[in-house]
Amino acid sequence: MTDNLIALDETIHQPTRLRIMTMLISQSPSDRLAYSFIQKTLGLTGGNLTIHLRKLESAGYLSTTKEFLDAKPRTWVEATPQGRRAFTDYLSNLVQALSWKPPS
Amino acid sequence: MQDTNREAPPLTPEESWNTIHSTFDRARASLYIAGITSILLFSGAVVAVAFFTHYAIETLAPAFAAERPWYPGLVWGVLGALGMIGNSIIGYRAGKNLSEGATARNAGIRVFAFWMAVISACFLIPAAAGMWNEESGEMIPGVTIGVVALGYILFAIMYRPMLATVGVGIAAAYYLPDYFAGDTALVFQGAATLAVCVLGAMWLRRSSAS
Repeated sequence: MTDNLIALDETIHQPTRLRIMTMLISQSPSDRLAYSFIQKTLGLTGGNLTIHLRKLESAGYLSTTKEFLDAKPRTWVEATPQGRRAFTDYLSNLVQALSWKPPS
Repeated sequence: MQDTNREAPPLTPEESWNTIHSTFDRARASLYIAGITSILLFSGAVVAVAFFTHYAIETLAPAFAAERPWYPGLVWGVLGALGMIGNSIIGYRAGKNLSEGATARNAGIRVFAFWMAVISACFLIPAAAGMWNEESGEMIPGVTIGVVALGYILFAIMYRPMLATVGVGIAAAYYLPDYFAGDTALVFQGAATLAVCVLGAMWLRRSSAS
């Protein structure tokens, strides 16, 4: 809940998780981003990124896949349909919060 | 880097809105400049080889150069094509390492189309100005470098403003020796272009990590 009395999803409404979700949503549906790409673009430590990815994953907002590419391990991160819906709802509520005025 | 795992204080709606926009821009821009440091290093090496080869033929085989005034076009054409192919492969592989799907693919196609348009302009502008002849052919490299430098500056304005300095550097690396260095201009141009590309790549790599 924000000061503006409009509910914003607390899982997404955290600076780092909001940036992670924005990065994933900025891609076409079913696109995947490399863990290292998210880490470098957002300037996060591995530990910090992993903690926030786990929170988002446990909420069902993203999924991670480990694969080998050119014999090197690689972790891919992808927004789930549920995560995309949650982000759309978050955006709708955010727009409402931005336009909300206290009753006079 | 954020070293703390503690929860950051909640954002205001305005901060959230700004965070979404800035992250969106940054994520997209990062795809468009995938592999830029390797591309700069490779480009610098190819251009330096072209300048040095041009200079070596001029000084070591002047008779060959005089009999075949078209040979610089061959040297630059072959090395330029190799550079384009090499850079396309580097960019493709770099993009594939960052993202998998339509967004990265579209970004790669757009970047390729942008630079193909720049390369086309390098041929079309001198052609439109009637420079593709023996008399004014010597002026074509100056026009080409100007177009390529402008390409870097335009690309930088869209995706990574600091890259504009590389464009200015490439122009300076050509025009200054051309004006001041006389017969040895080709050597200085090759060395200066390589230096600009290496310094630009180092700067970009450092700034990306910070």
